[in-house]
Amino acid sequence: MIEFKNVNKWFDKLHVLNDINLKIPKGEVLVICGPSGSGKSTLIRCINRLEKIQQGQIIVNDTPVHDKSTNLTKLRAEIGFVFQQFHLYPHMTVLQNVMLAPVNVKKIAKTKAEKIALEKLEQVGLTEKSGAYPAQLSGGQQQRVAIARGLVMSPEIMLFDEPTSALDPEMIGEVLDVMVNLVSEGMTMCVVTHEMGFAKKVADRVLFMDEGKIVETGTPGEFFDNPQTDRASEFISKILTH
Amino acid sequence: MISFYFGRLMEIFPFFLKGLWMTSKIGFISLVTCTLIGFILGIFRSSDSTILKRMVGVYVAFVRGTPFVVQIFIVFFILPEWGVQLEAFSAALLAMAIMGSAFICEIVAGGINSIPKGQWEAATSAGLNRIQQLRLVIIPQAMKVILPPLVGQYVLLIKDTSVVSVIGIMELTRVGWVTVVRIPEGLMVFTLVGFLYFIISYPLILLSNYLEKKMAV
Ligand SMILES: Nc1ncnc2c1ncn2[C@@H]1O[C@H](COP(=O)(O)OP(=O)(O)OP(=O)(O)O)[C@@H](O)[C@H]1O
Ligand SMILES: [Mg+2]
Repeated sequence: MIEFKNVNKWFDKLHVLNDINLKIPKGEVLVICGPSGSGKSTLIRCINRLEKIQQGQIIVNDTPVHDKSTNLTKLRAEIGFVFQQFHLYPHMTVLQNVMLAPVNVKKIAKTKAEKIALEKLEQVGLTEKSGAYPAQLSGGQQQRVAIARGLVMSPEIMLFDEPTSALDPEMIGEVLDVMVNLVSEGMTMCVVTHEMGFAKKVADRVLFMDEGKIVETGTPGEFFDNPQTDRASEFISKILTH
Repeated sequence: MISFYFGRLMEIFPFFLKGLWMTSKIGFISLVTCTLIGFILGIFRSSDSTILKRMVGVYVAFVRGTPFVVQIFIVFFILPEWGVQLEAFSAALLAMAIMGSAFICEIVAGGINSIPKGQWEAATSAGLNRIQQLRLVIIPQAMKVILPPLVGQYVLLIKDTSVVSVIGIMELTRVGWVTVVRIPEGLMVFTLVGFLYFIISYPLILLSNYLEKKMAV
């Protein structure tokens, strides 16, 4: 479903992605963790080409993402992306936020798009907020709208970049619950997160990055209880104590 | 004596109204064209393309760095040398479009650049193309930043139309000049001219103040 082949990326001289090889099969839930600046965000941002790569190939559903001829609109419609800072459109209501892409990208009629959007809002438990503006919502609610906004395009893949890091602790649970529900629907998910509870509960695989490299991969059990590298064990003890 | 001249002035008042009409016409057409071109240039100026950015940058720097009178002379006297014949009215409009669009371009680019990168990224990830991103997500938010100085710029543009009198267009200022020759009461004549400009620009000033307050919240 998603494949990285010898991917290298630099920001000027900084080697942010160093020879990444990775296969994410359909339906897998992959958790990515690692210290700050290790390249986690960059890795998943390359999947929908928010970032360009300089070497190698990324293939999503047989489509080479970084080819010039790739139909980016179609590719991006198949991939939902959830940001740490939500990035809802502040000048639109919740419903308008969710309807924007179906109407303008998929050209679905407004009435039908509204129906689908309301279904997705129900899925994240926010039907009653459909007329509100983002500024009127709590962080947890905003992030759930952002998830609905991704889901409304019926993507096969959802990418999450630290979806709970900007939230007050009491709101983390409501967002994770929505994500756990997605897992049970068989969604392919890449989640950058340090939420160990979430990883242990639903992840098929944990990937540990440091300095642009994949240092270690394993099942959550293997990785958290019996890390193979010093860097990983050091990292785990840090997130445990914090 | 003054009342005599005042009487004369009232006699030729229709002449002033014609000037006012010409000023309004040039002003209005300029506002529309400057806004259109200014938005397009502003979008280029805030784009990712270094070439576009630079080209527009040079254009803006040239316009800002030279007096408007000189720009009018270039359009009116130099273009014909190259075989482009323009009558005064078209030359005035062209010069206004060149000058005004450069200033509006800067305002628009400033507004677009004030929108956080995350908005572009969210819209990109959703699959919207560049034009949709601008039209649906970025510009509507940037308008908050753009509108107050834009309307302020309109006031400046209206006033700058007075400069096109140098190539013989009978707009308000030139009407003033021509009148003073016949009625040697400069103060009276130009107070009237000033008042007529004020009638056009004051509503825009009010609008600009109103927008500034409204957008601040
Ligand atoms: N647009 C950019 N230009 C230059 N350098 C960048 C850019 N984006 C990221 N970097 C650098 O690339 C490195 C990897 O960044 P990235 O955001 O992928 O790390 P991360 O693992 O997601 O870190 P964090 O946990 O802090 O989010 C960092 O050193 C960062 O400073
Ligand atoms: Mg990051």
